[in-house]
Amino acid sequence: MAYPVSLKKLVDVLCRFPGIGQKTAQRLAFYLLGCSREDVIAIARAMVEAKDRLTFCVICGSLAEAESCSYCSDPGRDQSLLCVVQEPRDVLVLERTGQYRGLYHVLHGALSPLDGIGPEELKLDQLVRRVEDKNVGEVIVATNPNVEGDATAAYIAMLLKPLASRVTRIAFGLPVGGDIEYADDLTLSRSLEGRREI
Amino acid sequence: MTQRIFKAEGLVLRTRILGEADRLVTLITWEEGKFEAVARGARKTKSKLAAGVDLFTHGWFTFHRGRTWPIITGQDTIERFPRFRDTPDLYAYGLYLAELTDRLVSGEEKCVEICQLLLEGWKLLDGDVDRTLLCRGFELKLTASAGYSPHLHSCVNCGAESTAGFSPSQGGLLCSRCQRADLIKVKPGTLALARRLIEAPLSQIKMLRATDWQKKELSSIIMAFFAYQLDLGEIKSRRFLKD
Repeated sequence: MAYPVSLKKLVDVLCRFPGIGQKTAQRLAFYLLGCSREDVIAIARAMVEAKDRLTFCVICGSLAEAESCSYCSDPGRDQSLLCVVQEPRDVLVLERTGQYRGLYHVLHGALSPLDGIGPEELKLDQLVRRVEDKNVGEVIVATNPNVEGDATAAYIAMLLKPLASRVTRIAFGLPVGGDIEYADDLTLSRSLEGRREI
Repeated sequence: MTQRIFKAEGLVLRTRILGEADRLVTLITWEEGKFEAVARGARKTKSKLAAGVDLFTHGWFTFHRGRTWPIITGQDTIERFPRFRDTPDLYAYGLYLAELTDRLVSGEEKCVEICQLLLEGWKLLDGDVDRTLLCRGFELKLTASAGYSPHLHSCVNCGAESTAGFSPSQGGLLCSRCQRADLIKVKPGTLALARRLIEAPLSQIKMLRATDWQKKELSSIIMAFFAYQLDLGEIKSRRFLKD
């Protein structure tokens, strides 16, 4: 199909997004063409602005618009509680729960020797320094519950146990709304291990 | 692998993120060899496949032939190695065995012996064993199973029984008359150990004793052999091992 040059360029650019194929890119391109000029400019400006203004917090490594992020600079947060996550987007997911009021530390990955990611490639030195320097009472390790995440959690526990009073791992169990019948054996056994009294 | 739906017993060697919530899983199977398959939605918390396609899983997998990759439609776990998750050292060693297997096995052909070797390697790692010696034994047995075994009984050139050392470029021992510039001197005890490691079942590793010097010598000849004969390049997980 012969696209007008500018439309083809737009579709090609949209195709670069993860999970966006030719058809979806085409749909998005036609959506943008249907928008007013002001809306299209606002979308483009938001993209450029986010790219220009967002950086990583020098303390915790999560997304920030200044040197330190809104969590690290909030005196109302519990300074003795530190939650370790793999990626900056995990911080946003945990914040969505509204349950956690402590600080974060983002590793920017997990131990993955096959990808050449070892302890030096993760923000582990900064984590150890933070725990040493600040009066951290508990470190919650919230890495992904897969082999890489679990091995990273075990490594962190080995590093921090002598420094922090408590190193804990987020609980594993059944997803809310699911049926036990469809749960896999590992999840079920972990949920039995982590059961609590009611 | 000609049927649309097929089932295979296999081991998970590697997983990678694919698209939004899928995983691309590298499997080595007893009957179908090594191949990649897609586990749709395996990154989602409610996925029934997620735990079954994680690294170090031994199980039965059901596939549907997709356009690019086979799609994993079902999974039954036979065994997993939970200690590999909780012990960073074991995780690195387990991955090393997996990566080596992944690099040495190339295609979709029956590889019963290699699958059994890897499974046995993981099982031994999970117990009380000299991990360094296990790795050396695994490396030698894996190369032998894949058909690249180094010649360790006599001079590879002239057949002389008295040998001067190991030549990576010749893929075996050389006598003093045939020796080349790349010759690595190896003590007789190390050679005897290497032969034993190739010939004996991997489980006998528990009964073998080796000095640090022998392990070091073994490691240098095996690595030189890998680099010259097999062109494996960098084995990424090796730098995380404690030896």
